[in-house]
Amino acid sequence: MDIETVKERAGPRQFGPNDDMPEEYRKAATRMIQFHANSEVMGGYLDKEFTRHAPSLDRKLANTAKVQDEIGHAQLLYRAAETLGVKTRDEMLDELQNGEGKFLNCFHYPVDSWYEAPMIDFFVDGGAMRRQATLKSTSWTPYAHAMDKVCFEEGFHVKHGESILRELMRGSKATQERTQETFEEWWPRILQFFGPTNDQSTHNDFAMDVGLKTVTNDELRNSFLNMYVPKAEKYGLEIPESPRIFERDDGTMAVRESDLDWDEFWTIAKNDSDGSHEQIGSRARRQEAVAWVRDSLDNWEGSAAGTPQAAD
Amino acid sequence: MIWEVFRQEKPGDYHRHVGNVHAPDRDMAKLFAQIQHARRMQTNSLWVVPQEEVGEVDTEDAAFGGRTDKAYRWAMTYNDIDSSFAQEVEDSEAEQREAARKRREQLESEGQR
Repeated sequence: MDIETVKERAGPRQFGPNDDMPEEYRKAATRMIQFHANSEVMGGYLDKEFTRHAPSLDRKLANTAKVQDEIGHAQLLYRAAETLGVKTRDEMLDELQNGEGKFLNCFHYPVDSWYEAPMIDFFVDGGAMRRQATLKSTSWTPYAHAMDKVCFEEGFHVKHGESILRELMRGSKATQERTQETFEEWWPRILQFFGPTNDQSTHNDFAMDVGLKTVTNDELRNSFLNMYVPKAEKYGLEIPESPRIFERDDGTMAVRESDLDWDEFWTIAKNDSDGSHEQIGSRARRQEAVAWVRDSLDNWEGSAAGTPQAAD
Repeated sequence: MIWEVFRQEKPGDYHRHVGNVHAPDRDMAKLFAQIQHARRMQTNSLWVVPQEEVGEVDTEDAAFGGRTDKAYRWAMTYNDIDSSFAQEVEDSEAEQREAARKRREQLESEGQR
């Protein structure tokens, strides 16, 4: 199929492994799904820190369940990416380990307190789920199928995250203040979650033209603001004065992008911030530490015992 | 030889199991599947899979979804939180509620056996 045909036919769940897709499409889809899969891994690794900090057994259980879900999402997404035939799962996991693999900006900041849990589990996950819900209509069918399962599970994550925020903001004055401070630290990062404005985003146009993406960064960020600013305020969080949020003519909210630190964002996008090194490094060391599990699985698969006999 | 048949109605849909056919080889299985399962049904694609290649684990072998209380991992548990502010959260909760309902029905019917 040539690129013009792809653009003409582009629509929800329009293409799959049986279609002869041009290299440009397969590469763009791989880049997008690999980024998504990497983000699930790195989000899971970041989230597991909260199990230690969680104040009750219920919260610890819910948190471990969430981490388990996130790693499961990564598995689904690496499978969906593999179906494009550009990179193998091993290649993608290696790239994440050696620092080439890219992932969401919010997962480049190490966490070390329970106050950060709702920032990730409510705001970042809420933003992610907004985006994932739109990807149920992506043109690469295996990706859309992965989103069906991911969105099924995410409702628990977002509600649990909101429940943590509610609990903290009903706590002591000191707890509320710490939560507010943490929110102020995280808020600009959360606003950058959806990436730069449409005209600065390098991959946006093509991804939209071939139906991989169905909604622009701007639209997603604005709908996120319209839903989540009222939520923050409901629990008594004050929205920081900067970056400025303003109301547009149509009544929807938007952010003054010039108030955000884009140098930091692009440093992170190159995996080159201190936090990037720390997060990638700590995951790489763990990946190394469990190499023996992968090796024994591979050995088993390679041995006669693990090989299914052909039916014919 | 028995071949399990999976039918996809429209592009982008899942292939769903619809039955099986008796056929000597893959080509004949595809032909029979077409005649038996796609002749009068809306179909975009069919899969045929040798039955012996299908691995099965059933309720005799495993306790699916666990019998322990894992309420903490369901959206409905956090019912002091209103999910209606975001369509996608509401949808997810509705899907989970439906899955939990089916699960409960299954447990009840097993209890009656």
